Amino acid sequence: MSSDDEMVGYRQQPGKLPFSRPGSGGKNQFSKLRDIELIPESQGGKKLQPRGGHRHDKLISGSSIGKSTALIDSKWKVTGKANYGDDIRLNNELIGKIVRSPHHYARVLSINVTKAMELEGVIAIATGSDAKNSFGVLPVTKDEHAMAIEKVRHKGDLVACVAAVDESIALEAVRLIEVEYEVLESIHDMRKGLNDSKNPIHDRGEYHIGESNVQKRVFQEFGNISQMIPNSVANHKSNWIFAGVNHGFTEPHAVVANWDPSGRLTLYTPQQVPHYVHRALADVLQIPMHQINVYRTFVGGGFGGKSDPFPHEMCAAILARKSGRPVRITFDREEVFWVNRGRHPSRIEMDIHADSVGRLCGVQTDALIDGGAFASFGHVTTYYNGVLHTAPYELGAFHYTGARVWTNKPASGAMRGHGAVNSRCAVEVGLDDIAEQLSVDPITLRLANLLPPYSATITGFRITSIGMRECLERVKIASDWDKKFRKLPLGHGIGIGCGFFISGSGLPIHWDPNKFPHATVHLKIDMDGGVTIHTGAADIGQGSDTVVAQSVAEVLGLPLDMIRVRSRETDTSPVDLGSYSSRVTFMNANAAISAAMEIRKDLIVAASKITNTEIEKLIVGDRRIFDKKDPAIGVSYLEALHKAQEDRGALTSSGSYRTPPMGRAHKGAAAGLAPAYSFSAYVAEVKVDMETGQTKVLEVWAAHDCGKALNPLSVKGQIIGSCHMGLGQVLSEEMKYSRAGQLLNPDLLDYKIPSIHEMPKVNPIIVESNDLEGPFGAKEAGEGPLLPILPAVCNAVYDASGIRINELPITGDRLYKEIEKKCKKLKMNDPLNLPNPSLKYSDLQSTLLNRASEHSKRDMDRILSEEKTPYHNGALFGMNPELPGDEQDSRWEIRVVPDEEYLINPRLAGSAWKHVERRKRSDLS
Amino acid sequence: MPPFKLHTPSSLDEAFEIVKGLKAENLDYDWIAGGTDLLPNYKWHINTKPHVISLSKIKILNKISKNHIGAMARLYDLSQSSEIHPLIAKSASLVASVMIRRSATLGGNICLDTRCFWFNQSEEWRESIDYCHKCDCGTGADCRVIPNQNTLCVATYQADLAPVLMCLGSTIHMASPEGERSVPMYDFFKLDGITKNILLEDELVTHITLPNDISDWEGDYQKLTQRDSWDFPEAGVAVSWKKGVTGPSEIRVATTGIEPIPRFHAEESQRILDTWSGENSVEELAESIRKSVKPVLNTWFQPSYRRKMVKVLSRRASKGLLEM
Repeated sequence: MSSDDEMVGYRQQPGKLPFSRPGSGGKNQFSKLRDIELIPESQGGKKLQPRGGHRHDKLISGSSIGKSTALIDSKWKVTGKANYGDDIRLNNELIGKIVRSPHHYARVLSINVTKAMELEGVIAIATGSDAKNSFGVLPVTKDEHAMAIEKVRHKGDLVACVAAVDESIALEAVRLIEVEYEVLESIHDMRKGLNDSKNPIHDRGEYHIGESNVQKRVFQEFGNISQMIPNSVANHKSNWIFAGVNHGFTEPHAVVANWDPSGRLTLYTPQQVPHYVHRALADVLQIPMHQINVYRTFVGGGFGGKSDPFPHEMCAAILARKSGRPVRITFDREEVFWVNRGRHPSRIEMDIHADSVGRLCGVQTDALIDGGAFASFGHVTTYYNGVLHTAPYELGAFHYTGARVWTNKPASGAMRGHGAVNSRCAVEVGLDDIAEQLSVDPITLRLANLLPPYSATITGFRITSIGMRECLERVKIASDWDKKFRKLPLGHGIGIGCGFFISGSGLPIHWDPNKFPHATVHLKIDMDGGVTIHTGAADIGQGSDTVVAQSVAEVLGLPLDMIRVRSRETDTSPVDLGSYSSRVTFMNANAAISAAMEIRKDLIVAASKITNTEIEKLIVGDRRIFDKKDPAIGVSYLEALHKAQEDRGALTSSGSYRTPPMGRAHKGAAAGLAPAYSFSAYVAEVKVDMETGQTKVLEVWAAHDCGKALNPLSVKGQIIGSCHMGLGQVLSEEMKYSRAGQLLNPDLLDYKIPSIHEMPKVNPIIVESNDLEGPFGAKEAGEGPLLPILPAVCNAVYDASGIRINELPITGDRLYKEIEKKCKKLKMNDPLNLPNPSLKYSDLQSTLLNRASEHSKRDMDRILSEEKTPYHNGALFGMNPELPGDEQDSRWEIRVVPDEEYLINPRLAGSAWKHVERRKRSDLS
Repeated sequence: MPPFKLHTPSSLDEAFEIVKGLKAENLDYDWIAGGTDLLPNYKWHINTKPHVISLSKIKILNKISKNHIGAMARLYDLSQSSEIHPLIAKSASLVASVMIRRSATLGGNICLDTRCFWFNQSEEWRESIDYCHKCDCGTGADCRVIPNQNTLCVATYQADLAPVLMCLGSTIHMASPEGERSVPMYDFFKLDGITKNILLEDELVTHITLPNDISDWEGDYQKLTQRDSWDFPEAGVAVSWKKGVTGPSEIRVATTGIEPIPRFHAEESQRILDTWSGENSVEELAESIRKSVKPVLNTWFQPSYRRKMVKVLSRRASKGLLEM
C-alpha cells in the first residue's frame, strides 16, 4: 500500500508507520468456513428441512442459531456479580417502608403522620394525596393509585409510605402513623361478586355493570350451537374450582428511585415491562416521559408477576422527590403476596360434546374468575379463559361465558400461561372423559380432531405452523403409552394433556400497530468490530438478550462475544412492549434480523468492492465474507467493515417488527390474536397412594412445538421449568384463605412450591414446525409448555385411581375425600380394592385412526404446498373450508351479546349479563 | 429482626451466671440452640426478648452415644450416626430439610414451639386479626381457632423426635440455677400450646438418656407432609415394640403433629398387647389411635383428613409387628 492511497488530503511525516488496524476481538484469529451441518438444505447445506425452507435460510451463517448456548449473562449470575433490584446502592440512600391496610375493605377517614414525622431519622412521608392520578397496565382499566385515595380494597393495600435513614426507623415510623378507618363489608367469595353491592369495590362510572362487582364480562357464541347437543353421543360435564396461585419468583419486588441534579428521575426496578412503568410514572408524577429513565435491573424471575406498573414504584419516586435523596424499597415475601397478580382463583364449568364419529361438536365453557381488588390484566384474562381453548381442535360449536369480579383480595393478574391454564386443564380432562365414554384412545381422539396448519379457528384466529401432531406422536412413543395406558395397576397411572398458546399478543396495548411497530432494534458497529444492540426487550432471565444477540451474530457471521446488548435503560433503548405474552423471541428477534440484514448488505457491498466480486456470489461465514464457489476469494469481516465505514464512520441500522393484519371484526376478536401459536403435548406418569390420597409424579415426557429451537438448551430449560411451575399448581400450590378472607400462607413455608424431591424426571422433546413468519422459524417456548402438565397429571391420577378430580391443587386431603366417596358409593372399606379404569376399544377407534392418518397426510401436503389454500374451522363438519362458517350458514352466526332467552337461566359467570350497564339504564337517566 | 444481645457461655455454670445477672436487672431472655425455630419467630416479632443465650459453646451438651444424646446434638449428626438407635436416626433424617438439620438440635426439636396459621405470621398480619391468645401483645386476645375460650391454646406441636423418644423409653434431663432433675419423656409435655412442657423459668434441657435394653426395641416412625422436604409433620406416628415368643412382648405408640403436645398412647397399646391377635390387633390399634386424637383447623391439611391419616400411619408404622 502506498502512502498516497492512505493519506488523501493529509500529509504524513516520512517513514511513519501506516495507521494500524484494530484487532478483531474474535475468539480465535482465523475464521472457519461455514459448518455445512448447520446450513439448511435449501441453501445447499446438510441441515434437513422436512417441512421445507424458510425465508431466513439464506441468513444462516452457522454461527449460533440452533446451537445450545449458555445465556450471555449467565456468568454474571453464577459469579454473583449481577445486580438485582435490591443490589442497587446509591450514595445517601433512604429506606422506604409502606403502611398497609389491616382491613379487607375500608374507607380511610384520616391519616395522622405528626408523630412519625417527629421521629428522628424520618425524612419524608407520603400519602394518597401526594399522587392522585390513577394508573393501571391496561388503558381501559386504570384503577390503581400510588396509595389509597379514599378506600383501601384489600388487606395489605397501600395507605402511606415513609422514607427514613435506616430500616428500623422506617418501620418505627410506620407504626407511628395513625390511620382512622371506617370498615366496610368485604366480599371474598367470587360468586358474591356477581351480585349488586352497596359499596362496589370500584366505580366505573357510566360503564359500571349494574351495581355489582363485575369488572368484565364476555359472551361468545360461534358455530352450530343449536345442533351441538342433539348431535352429541358423549357429554362431559364438570365444575372446576382452581385455587389462586402466585408466581413464587425468587427475587421479591425491589425498587430504587433517584432524582438527579438535572431534575430527571431514574427508577431502578426489576421489571418485565419498563415502558409501561415509564408511562405510568409520567401520569402519576405529572412530569413528561423524557424526564424519566427506567432502568431495568437484573430480574430474579418474573413469570408475569412483574409486568404491571406497581404502586410501590410510584411510592419510591414520590418519596425520592419529597426527600431529595435516593429511596430504596424492598419487599419481604409477605408483601409479594399482597401485591400478588398471580393466577386467578377460578370456577370453571366445562361441557364438551362429541358426536357419533368422534368429532367435537361443541364446547361450552363458563369461567368465573376472581380478580381480587384491581383490574390489572383482567380484561384480557377474561377473554383468554375462553378463546385460548378454541384450538388445536376443530370444533362444531363454541359457547363461552366469562366474568371477572372484584373481591377484597390481593389482585390477580397475568401469570405464565396467562388465562389459558385453568380452562385448558378443564378441556383436556374433558377430552379424556369423552375418550373414555367413547371407548377410544385419548391420543387417537386428539389426533383425529386437529386443525390443519395454515387454518383459522372457530373464532377466526389465523393459525400458521402446527407441530401438534408430531408432539402427540412423539410423546406417545417416548412414554411407551400403548403398553401403559389403562394397563397399569391400581395406584399407578399415565395421562395425556395438550396445550396451545399465543406467541406474542397481536395488538400492542398502548398504540395503534398500524402506526408504530411492536418491536424495534437498533444496531451500531464501530471500528472495533463489536456490535452494540439497543433493544427494549426486558431480559427477565428467560434469555431475551441472548436470543437477540444470537440473531444478530448469525446474520453477521460473528461469534457471540462480539455482540453486546444494551437493553436496560429507557434512555438508550427503543420503546418495546416488554416481556409478556411470549412475544419477545418472535418480535424482537425478527426486528433484530431486519436490522442486521441492513448491516450485512453494507458489508457485502464493501466486500464486493474490495474483491471485485459480484454481490450475489458473496456469502457471510465466520468473520469472513467470501465467494461461495471459491472461498479463497474474500475479505475478513473487519476489512469489509472498515471499507463500509469509509465516509460515514460507525455503521448503524434499525429494524422493526409489526404483526400482519389478522383476525375478524366481532367484539373481542383481537383477544388471543397472535402472529403464531405454540403447541405442546405432555404425558405424565404418576403414583397415587390410595390410602392417603397423595400423588407423586414419576416421569414426564414433554413435547413442545417452538417452531425452531434457536437455543435448544434454553428451550429445554423452559420446558423443565414450566413443568415444575405447573406441577406446583396441580399438586400443592394454593393461596389459602380463611373463611373470613385472611390469606393464611403468605410465606414460602406454607405456600408449597414443589421441592427437588417432588420434581420428576422430565424428558423434553423439541418439535420444530418451522414457522414461516418466526425468526429463523421460531415461536414461543416460555409459557405454552406450562399448560399441558396440569391436565396430564389429572388424567394420570384418573388412570391410577379412577378418580376424576375437579379441584386444584390435588392435595392429599382433596383426593382422599374423593377416594372415600367412591368407596362409599361402591360399598367398599378398603380403597386398595377399588377397581381401576380399563379400556376396550369400540368400533370408533378404527374410524378415528383412519381419520388421523388421512389428516396427517392432509397436513403434510398443506405444509409443503406453495399455495396455502384457506381452511376454516368447520370443514370437518362438512362446511366449505374456503369461508368462515358464519359466511355460509346462518346457523353458524356469531353472537357476542346474550339474548333474553339465555338470561332466563344463565350459567354462573353468564349471570353477570343480568346486570345492565349504568349508561343503558333507564332508572338512572 | 428486632435487635437482641447474644451471650455465648462455654459452660452451664457460666450460662446460669448470665441468667442471674439478667434476672437481677429484670431482663427477659431466651435460650437458643440451633436457632431454626426461634429466629424465624423473632423475624416475625413473635415473643421476642432483648437477650438471647446461646448454648452452642457448651461442649458437654454435644455428646452422642447409644444411651446418651446431648441437647445440642445436631439432627444431621443424629441422622448419620450408627451408634444411636436406628429409629432416632430415621426420624431425625425426616425433619425439615438438610440445611435445617445441619443447624437444628435434639433439644430444640423437643422444645419446638407450637405452630398455628393464626400465630406464625408477621406482626402486621397478626395485628390485622387483633392478635391471638398465644401472642396477644398485651391485648388479652381470644383464640382464633376456637373462639370464645382463652384458656387453652390449641396451636399444634409439629416436631418429629418426641414420639420416637417416648416410644424408646427415654428420660429427659433438665438443669437450672436451682439444680438438675429428670423425668420420663412422656411426662415432659404439658397440655397447652403456650406452656407446652414442664420446663420452669430459667430451666433448660441438657440431654436425654435411653434405657439399657434399647437395642431390644424395634419400631418405625411415619409422618404425613405435603412435600418430602421442609414441611412440618401434619401428623406423625411412632410405634415401637419388643419381640416376644409368639408376638410382641411390649408395644408403645406415640403421636405428634396433631395436638398441642405429642401424645403417648399407653392405654391403647396395652389393650391390644393384652388381646394380641396379629393383623386384627394392628387394625384395632390404628383405629383406637385415630379415635383418641383431636386435631383442629390450624395447619395445612384439613383436621378430619389428618385424623384419618393417623390411622393409616399407625398401620404402616406397625407393619414390623406382623413380621415376627
